[in-house]
Amino acid sequence: MTALACAALPWLAGCAGRQSALAPAGEDAAALHTLFIVMLAGAVVLFVLMNGLFFYLTRINPVALPLRHARLLMAVGGILFPTIVVGTLLVWGLSLLPDQRRPGDGLRLHVTGEQWWWRVEYQPADGGPPVVSPNEIRLPAGQRAELALTSSHVIHSLWIPALGGKMDMFPGRETVMSLRPTEPGSYRGQCAEFCGASHAWMAFEAVVMEPAAFEAWLAAEARDARAPATPEARRGADIFAREGCGACHAVRGTDAQGSLGPDLTHVGSRQSLGAGRLGTGLEDFATWIAHVDALKPEVEMPAYDHLSEPERRALAAYLKGLE
Amino acid sequence: MSEEHAPRPEEDRREFAEETESLWRVTFAPALWALHFLACYGLVSLACARGLFPIGATRAGLVGLTLLVLAGIAWLGWRGFRQWDVHSTGRRANPGGHAEDRHQFLGHAAFLLAIISFIGVIFVSLPLIMLEGCR
Amino acid sequence: MTKEPSDTAPRGPFPPEEAMLAEPVPPELDAARTARLRAAWKAPTGWRYWSAVNNTEVGKWYSLTALFFMLCAGVMALIIRLQLAVPENELVSSDRFSQLFTLHGSAMMFLFAVPMFEAISILILPGMLGARDMPFPRLSAFGYWCFLIGGVFVIGSILFDAAPTSGWFMYPPLATQAEGPGSDIWLLGLSFIEVASIAAAVELIVGTLKCRPPGMRVNLMPLYAWYVMVVGGMILFAFPPLIAGDFLFELERSFDWPFFDPTRGGDPMLWQHLFWIFGHPEVYIIFLPSIAIAAMIIPTAARRPIVGYSWIVLSAVGTGFLSFGLWVHHMFTTGLPNISLGFFSAASEAVVIPTGVQLFAFLATLMAGRVKMSLPMLWIAGALAIFTTGGLTGLMLAIAPFDFQVHDTYFVVAHLHYTLFGGMIFPVMAGVYYFYPFIAKKLLSERLGRWAFWLIFTGFNVTFLPMHLTGLLGMPRRVYTYPTGLGWDGLNLVSSLAAFVIAAGFAVFVWDLVRPKGGQPLAPRNPWDAGTLEWTHDVPEETWGVRSIPHVTSRYPLWDDPALLARIDAGRYYLPDAETGRRETLITSVIDAEPMQIQRVTGPSWIPHVAAGFTGGAFIFPTFHLYWPAILCGICAVSAILWWLWRDTARPPAPEDEMRDAGLGLRLPTYAAGPSSAGWWAMWITMFGDATAFSSVIFGFFFYWTAQPDFPPPGAAHADGTGTALAALAFAAAWGLARAAQRLNRGGRREPARLALGAGAVAAAAGIGGLLLAVAPLSPSSHVYPAILCAIAVWIIAHAGLGIVMLLYCLAGSLAGKLTPRHDADLQNVMLFWHFLAASALVACAVLGLAPGLMTGGAP
Repeated sequence: MTALACAALPWLAGCAGRQSALAPAGEDAAALHTLFIVMLAGAVVLFVLMNGLFFYLTRINPVALPLRHARLLMAVGGILFPTIVVGTLLVWGLSLLPDQRRPGDGLRLHVTGEQWWWRVEYQPADGGPPVVSPNEIRLPAGQRAELALTSSHVIHSLWIPALGGKMDMFPGRETVMSLRPTEPGSYRGQCAEFCGASHAWMAFEAVVMEPAAFEAWLAAEARDARAPATPEARRGADIFAREGCGACHAVRGTDAQGSLGPDLTHVGSRQSLGAGRLGTGLEDFATWIAHVDALKPEVEMPAYDHLSEPERRALAAYLKGLE
Repeated sequence: MSEEHAPRPEEDRREFAEETESLWRVTFAPALWALHFLACYGLVSLACARGLFPIGATRAGLVGLTLLVLAGIAWLGWRGFRQWDVHSTGRRANPGGHAEDRHQFLGHAAFLLAIISFIGVIFVSLPLIMLEGCR
Repeated sequence: MTKEPSDTAPRGPFPPEEAMLAEPVPPELDAARTARLRAAWKAPTGWRYWSAVNNTEVGKWYSLTALFFMLCAGVMALIIRLQLAVPENELVSSDRFSQLFTLHGSAMMFLFAVPMFEAISILILPGMLGARDMPFPRLSAFGYWCFLIGGVFVIGSILFDAAPTSGWFMYPPLATQAEGPGSDIWLLGLSFIEVASIAAAVELIVGTLKCRPPGMRVNLMPLYAWYVMVVGGMILFAFPPLIAGDFLFELERSFDWPFFDPTRGGDPMLWQHLFWIFGHPEVYIIFLPSIAIAAMIIPTAARRPIVGYSWIVLSAVGTGFLSFGLWVHHMFTTGLPNISLGFFSAASEAVVIPTGVQLFAFLATLMAGRVKMSLPMLWIAGALAIFTTGGLTGLMLAIAPFDFQVHDTYFVVAHLHYTLFGGMIFPVMAGVYYFYPFIAKKLLSERLGRWAFWLIFTGFNVTFLPMHLTGLLGMPRRVYTYPTGLGWDGLNLVSSLAAFVIAAGFAVFVWDLVRPKGGQPLAPRNPWDAGTLEWTHDVPEETWGVRSIPHVTSRYPLWDDPALLARIDAGRYYLPDAETGRRETLITSVIDAEPMQIQRVTGPSWIPHVAAGFTGGAFIFPTFHLYWPAILCGICAVSAILWWLWRDTARPPAPEDEMRDAGLGLRLPTYAAGPSSAGWWAMWITMFGDATAFSSVIFGFFFYWTAQPDFPPPGAAHADGTGTALAALAFAAAWGLARAAQRLNRGGRREPARLALGAGAVAAAAGIGGLLLAVAPLSPSSHVYPAILCAIAVWIIAHAGLGIVMLLYCLAGSLAGKLTPRHDADLQNVMLFWHFLAASALVACAVLGLAPGLMTGGAP
């Protein structure tokens, strides 16, 4: 029902959802939103003129009008008018281009598209080692962040509609996009280029934070993983080691150093699991471990459905504790 | 300009010989647009991706090329307009079955194609003027 | 070439004088002629019916098959919509969903939109031109059977869960890495169909250039014919880059030559360029023919000649040109420099102008005319409403920054369906209602037609208008499902429900089309009071196309010449007879349509089926990596085609048959060679397409050089210089020998000509040897540099092999008396092929031998 109401009233920002180009939360998206509204208004006018004229000529007044007028209509409507209108639109559109791709003036990130998740590395300004934190993109508000994009196997496309346009990610090539978010909040981004069976489930959370909060978060993210705090979580850590999870996943500060799958060092403090597939409750972790193949078709990770219910819960507790 | 006549051997060759110039005029304007477009895209790619020449000089050179191409298209359009010959005949549409109708029609087509190509070249040259660098 | 073989020059009065036309034909003479003509054009009956090659039969099969594939693809769309009706739906699996959307797009484009244009044109173009048939009926039949085999193969794959899954655009590396035969089915199956499409395009162009009625100068052609020519030309330049891309792609899939693999120097962007250089003109290839249908219907509805004939012609030509400068607007988000995006943004906006001119010329015609609305016009009105919406969103998408947001979202899905429904489906439906009486001699139901219109129109808008919003709310394309809570649920449900309203509309339409109409009266001969020649058709049907080929002096002969119809029917005009019992049509000159030749047209035959079957095998077996059967099929296909050409084309007529009476006192030759003949033009046009494909492969070489910092890689093995030089010399020699053979033969020196033909074949073989020697040191799977050199060599070797076959064919023809000093059409056509082959071979040798030195020396 809400959705139907949204369909009727799309410009109520609250309705538009967290992945909407119509609810801009960044400079780039805002400029494109304005562009769209103006183009839409113009398009409606042109549509009415064109079809109104057809209706008039065929239904209201189907008699023969002077050939002179018809020729004038053809020259003005066919060449003169569109040249001016389209030319103006083109000039406006071109003038927006450099802004959309301005070089960054703050944070720099490396994002690599994987099938089907995002490898994200934050490049600290002081030239220290990059901070790895996958499947979530956090950006400080008010700065223009630059994202260097690449991919490991197939082409993906990184898109956060609320913040700006998208950019493709190619294997063996680096593309660059820049974003200047203005409104702190949590938005949803998604892969926009078809990349295989789980393309539909390759999403992520884009979190815009106040700069100070962002710095604190980044510092925390750079630290090694917490040791498990409860007995259940310790049991979970043992299962994690026993099942060989560390062959693919890294948990910094432990023996797990795999790099095929996402880094799990701070998985417990993320806002989604499996690249935007599930929430981050204990139950979500357990479900993910047991049914990953159903949740994400053709994913590399095997489903650990041979684990018993308590084992899964222990593993979930361990992972949830990695904050 | 030949009028109706009995069929001749090698008719195609003769007809093409008769209209060579106007056929060139019809194809030349859009072909100039295409060449200009390819030159813009190709040279900018070579400048940006391969680094063969500096982008600033490339842009300046291409703006120069644009002016030349525009002049060429304008000339073709003028010749087409003359061939259409609407002022002396008063015939805009050339729906008749005579050789001069065909001749004037080809002139009209060349004239209109030149207009479209002219607008096309101006549009394509806008980014050259408005956008800088290789970003 | 100033020598005039006066004994075979056309003779007699032209244009015909009014007195000649007014003279009645004696009834008994007319009756005898009518009987002979009817016998010559009689369609085969019983099971032999399927050996028919008439444009009326082939065109019907062609369009019904395309309609069938369209309905299949439509059912796939319904399944897609069912899956997306609610979030996290589990109706179909992700893999099945990928198969569905890949095939939906591929089938609609390759099995419906383009073939439907060709089918409709094959059906109605000869009628509009007052021709008896297409110039090469068996080629149409061959094209149709190829299309049927390829189409069933591609679309049938989904029944075996083996359909391609990488989207209709097949982007590597996803598509190159995809497991199973899906990608190969797409590549080979559709390449096969593309070849058939090109064949049909060649035939349509030649039909328009050389088979017009006497007197129909270029300024009098029906607008539809202009569009056919423009669209045929576009097919010739747009499909070959895709074929070149398919060629490279399949080499990577089958032999691991890394054209698109970035780990070995390849670049997935090359495919995107080649695909969209095809893909964007494709949109206009689909759109323009439908506009052409509108250009026939609107003057009829306005009851006056079109306003702005030259404007429409120029717009068609202009759109054809501009549409080749738009391809990167499908690649705005690939990280190309702003300024490059700007060029394509600008060209994409510029194309609006010729498109707009066409629409305003229609409005101007309606303005100056006394409009009489009819069912076809209702569909045209719907087309205008839908197409302007799609055009206006296209205007938005061409603005690069806006495209950054909505690219690959449902906004684009909405846009493209608006352009294709408005620019193709609705005008074609208008055309079906308009031309149905011409094709089937019955009228479709007015009531069912209105039902179909309102169901499809309403269903379409309710399905696709909300999708604009779905896309702006962030829903990407090609997702098999989506989570709830993003504002997409209700919109998707509405779209899914309305999709079934569209389906209901099509069900009504198809029922109207196929319902038995035995009891229904025949349609009037000219039910819409139109002015163009197709409405001189015979009711009830006669298979001869037109009773006698009229002399035309205006754009709307039926309006302007009240005596025309009666004179056609009386056999007063050209070719009223079939004295020899053979099928014949009139060949006229390109610009002024002066009568030049009576061409024999081939009749029913099974050879197109045999050739199409083996050609199909040659394309289909490699899908399953069965290379030997494929090669065997290829040899059989070539043999079948040679047999077909040998038996039935360019055979010298008997001496007493060199000149024949064409009617109205005109005597015309029955044999033509060189530019006077239809075959020469067909070869010339085909070679343009071939040269475009070759240029695309060469473009690939330079693309790698531009895009890759280390191309050629340092220390790479290069092509062998001696072999390259040998190849260049040998191909130049072969060309020279072929040219000498042509001259010697023309001069009556048949023995030396034969010698030159044989020597030419040997020289060409030496050229192949040289190329093999040149690429021997390369290992193509190691890096893209040796791979692209080998691909160029493979291309030339294959063509040279064909060139040898052609020279030997001429040699055999000379020995068997099929090729004589005067009757040298085969040799002239082969010479055209050799001009292009020699040029390509020299370019190839230059790239192999010279470019690497220049590049490694000149690159920074």
